[in-house]
Amino acid sequence: MDDNHDSTLAPSTLPRKVVLGFQDVEDLTAPDLPTEPLPLNMGPSHPAMHGTVRMVLEVEGERISSADIQIGYLHRCFEKESESATWTQVFPYTDRLNYISPMLNNVGYAMAVEKLLGITKEIPERAQFIRVIVGEVSRITDHLTCLGASAMELGAFTVFLYALKAREWLFELLEEVCGARLTSTYLRVGGVAYDLPPEFDAKLRSIVERTQVVLSDISKLLDRNRIFRDRMDGIGIITREDAVAYGITGPVGRSTGLAYDVRKDHPYLVYDRFDFDVPVGSVGDNFDRYAVRVEEIHQSIRILDQALKQIPAGPFMHPDPRISLPPKNEVYNSIEAMIAHFKNIMDGIHVPSGEVYSFTEAGNGELGFYLVSDGTGRPWKCRVRPPCFSATEVLTKVLPGLFIADVVPTFGMINMIGGECDR
Amino acid sequence: MTTTTPPSTTTPEMVTITIDGKTHQFPKGTVLLEACNAVGAEVPFFCYHPGLSSPAVCRQCLVDVKGQPKPVPSCYTPVADKMEVMTRSPRAVDVRRQMLEFTLVNHPIDCPICDKAGECMLQKQYFDWDAKLARNDGIKVHKAKVVDIGPHIVLDQERCILCTRCIRVCDEVAKNHQLEMAQRGDHEVLTTAPGHQLDNPYSLNTVDVCPVGALTAKDFRFSMRVWELYTTPSICPGCATGCNVEVHHSRGKIHRLVPRENLAVNKQWMCDEGRFTYKRVHAQRLAAPFSAGAPVEWDRALDDAGKLLRAALDANPLEVGVVMNAQSTNEDLYALAKLTFDHLGLGKAYLAGLDQGWSDDILVSADKNPNTAGAMAIGAGRLRTLLDLANDLKSGAVTTLLVVGTHGVLATDAPSALPLDKLKRLVVIGTHRGHLTEVAQVAMPLSEWAESDGTFTNRLGMVQRVRAAVPAAGDALPGWEILSHLARKLGATMDFTEAKAVFAEAKSKLPFMKEADWGRVQLPVQLRFAGSRG
Repeated sequence: MDDNHDSTLAPSTLPRKVVLGFQDVEDLTAPDLPTEPLPLNMGPSHPAMHGTVRMVLEVEGERISSADIQIGYLHRCFEKESESATWTQVFPYTDRLNYISPMLNNVGYAMAVEKLLGITKEIPERAQFIRVIVGEVSRITDHLTCLGASAMELGAFTVFLYALKAREWLFELLEEVCGARLTSTYLRVGGVAYDLPPEFDAKLRSIVERTQVVLSDISKLLDRNRIFRDRMDGIGIITREDAVAYGITGPVGRSTGLAYDVRKDHPYLVYDRFDFDVPVGSVGDNFDRYAVRVEEIHQSIRILDQALKQIPAGPFMHPDPRISLPPKNEVYNSIEAMIAHFKNIMDGIHVPSGEVYSFTEAGNGELGFYLVSDGTGRPWKCRVRPPCFSATEVLTKVLPGLFIADVVPTFGMINMIGGECDR
Repeated sequence: MTTTTPPSTTTPEMVTITIDGKTHQFPKGTVLLEACNAVGAEVPFFCYHPGLSSPAVCRQCLVDVKGQPKPVPSCYTPVADKMEVMTRSPRAVDVRRQMLEFTLVNHPIDCPICDKAGECMLQKQYFDWDAKLARNDGIKVHKAKVVDIGPHIVLDQERCILCTRCIRVCDEVAKNHQLEMAQRGDHEVLTTAPGHQLDNPYSLNTVDVCPVGALTAKDFRFSMRVWELYTTPSICPGCATGCNVEVHHSRGKIHRLVPRENLAVNKQWMCDEGRFTYKRVHAQRLAAPFSAGAPVEWDRALDDAGKLLRAALDANPLEVGVVMNAQSTNEDLYALAKLTFDHLGLGKAYLAGLDQGWSDDILVSADKNPNTAGAMAIGAGRLRTLLDLANDLKSGAVTTLLVVGTHGVLATDAPSALPLDKLKRLVVIGTHRGHLTEVAQVAMPLSEWAESDGTFTNRLGMVQRVRAAVPAAGDALPGWEILSHLARKLGATMDFTEAKAVFAEAKSKLPFMKEADWGRVQLPVQLRFAGSRG
């Protein structure tokens, strides 16, 4: 038997080569190795780079000294394509902006066109409530995806499965509403395409109840989880000043203490009729962003609860046949409705010449649409202000000084969505 | 407050009227509807047409005039001094809406199968001025759906809204009374005049002016939905008149020609014969270069052509002839003339073209070539006729021939017209397949009028712009480009890179093109977004 493997040898006499636990790097007995800057390519095809983004990091050892965030890998010419589609045909494109909360994009675009048409005040009340309901459901799916995916990347796979289970209930509900989980195309200029399905109320209430259980499970799994907290607390701090300077809105902006929520500050649809709070963070780190999102889900549930109680019966589309398609029965049996249907489909809605900027609170913050019409049936220009664009931009400033491993939770909590950021 | 002074200063007396609260000045005698539309107070209409008289039958252009007990038809009312017109008064808007509702009562629900859908004035006016769903669910009056009223046109009496525009086109443009109204009330129908059918040479204009789909062209109906078409402004190649047209095309295929307004040439009209000139763009085209009867690459064909011509020039330049064509654009002709006279110093050039045909004093010219005037001016007296060519071929004075443009070179009764048997060398640059391209040692494909940019000079000497609407058939190239390549093979320098450059050089050298304008780049516009056609 080899002497070196004598079981009697005291462990303390062995040279320490393996460090366990949470000792600081400085405590290592090994001497610091000389380092030199090393470019490190992360993405565009990397498990943590959801949405295809490329980061060119410069690292010194494990520390990042500079980060170059390169977006554009998911550019699909949304804005240019819109110029050769009628106003209504743009809706399917908007589904594919922030594709985990497509309804909120639908809402943003529909309201922009309506503002240009000058019919914002004429949208039937039921349609406005439906928009709020499907929008808030989408916000919940958006946040659940973000939380679940980030937790998974930090090793908490269970949380991911729980979150996606709840998300799936909501997607199935939305599928009942509009026929698709993601590619909803549910809204129309002037209202929504179809009324809510029967039993929607009861189904949503049941799903919300179960989702709250899931949320509490997730909180139990994460909130006091040492691994999770160590990688979230104090990591990726964005200051309030930076949030303002970069134009960061939404959960990321609110995590810095910036209490800006379009639903509160510039109420649209019927948001002024609901009682809900805007959660804000105090530190602006990853954990604040996590906490803000969890709380926003609870607030969305509050809004849903009130909206389900208040939603009136009535029409769900604007009555003007120049804007909305007439009922099919009318189309087949009267020339007036036939012409209206024909012109709306073939020429598109005639939106008067002009320009407009309209903004709503989407899953990631202020989603803006800047539209220009030349009076024909298609947008002359359709520009999107993607909320996660500015949040992604600030990473250049936030990442330097962090470890490579910190990129994962920090980027995850920014919730950059390629479809929205790159358009 | 805006004051509009129309450019026409020939009418000295101006009247001042108020339209929707703003004062404007117009020459005395201006029709109120034109005055309103000129200043942006748009008034809808069906029966009014700028090129026709106004019977005021559709009542769609009613406006309120202060002091008048009832709304007046603006298409029939001349402006008068101190007139106060309200085009947007609640009563005027309402009566126009009611007129539309009335017109729609018996209109069939045909949009999905109607050829006019997409450029239908009734659709447009309903969308702009009515936009209310039906209040009437009575049974519609049924009339004849498919009435064959002439060689080119089918009538659907149900769709007709009785505006009488087509009757006036026949009466006033074609000067031929072939259409009439029959019956009364909601049984009134459009029909042919007793003993007539709609067969005048301008009959298809009735289809253009028809505000709905009552009159449809047999050639176009059911072939294409109009909103899918792209429009490119161009010139009709049918005769020396040079009517301004819009080429309507889609996916590289021309579907129809419609007239484009030019008050100096064709007003709003064109003849039926001209409308069908597009057919030759897609039929029997020479699509690839041929050398010794086999299809070859462009380079090889140009090489072979260059060698043939070089051999002929070396042997005896006096025996080399060049045939130009009055169907070619000024640019192609200029490039060919430059090569023939300036670079090669040849003396024997001939002008070919389609044979003379019928004519009238309305639009149709006997000269069936769009650019005879341009060819004559560019040839400057150096061009001989085809008869001379026949004699020269017979006598053996010409043994080598370069033909650019095959239209009418072999006339109608083909091989016998020109004795080609004594020819030693024949190089043809042509648009269509035929005897000429078959017997040629080298044949090269030339792009047609609708495939190339350039200009035509009409019989009035006006240089008008032709625009490429569809991609050239097969490997065809524009004449100036082929000639530039060929010139290089013959050792001459003629390096044109675009039609515009040829135009610019021709313009600087040729007096008749001094005033010519190339115009701006115009991308084809899809009709659904053109915003102009209903």
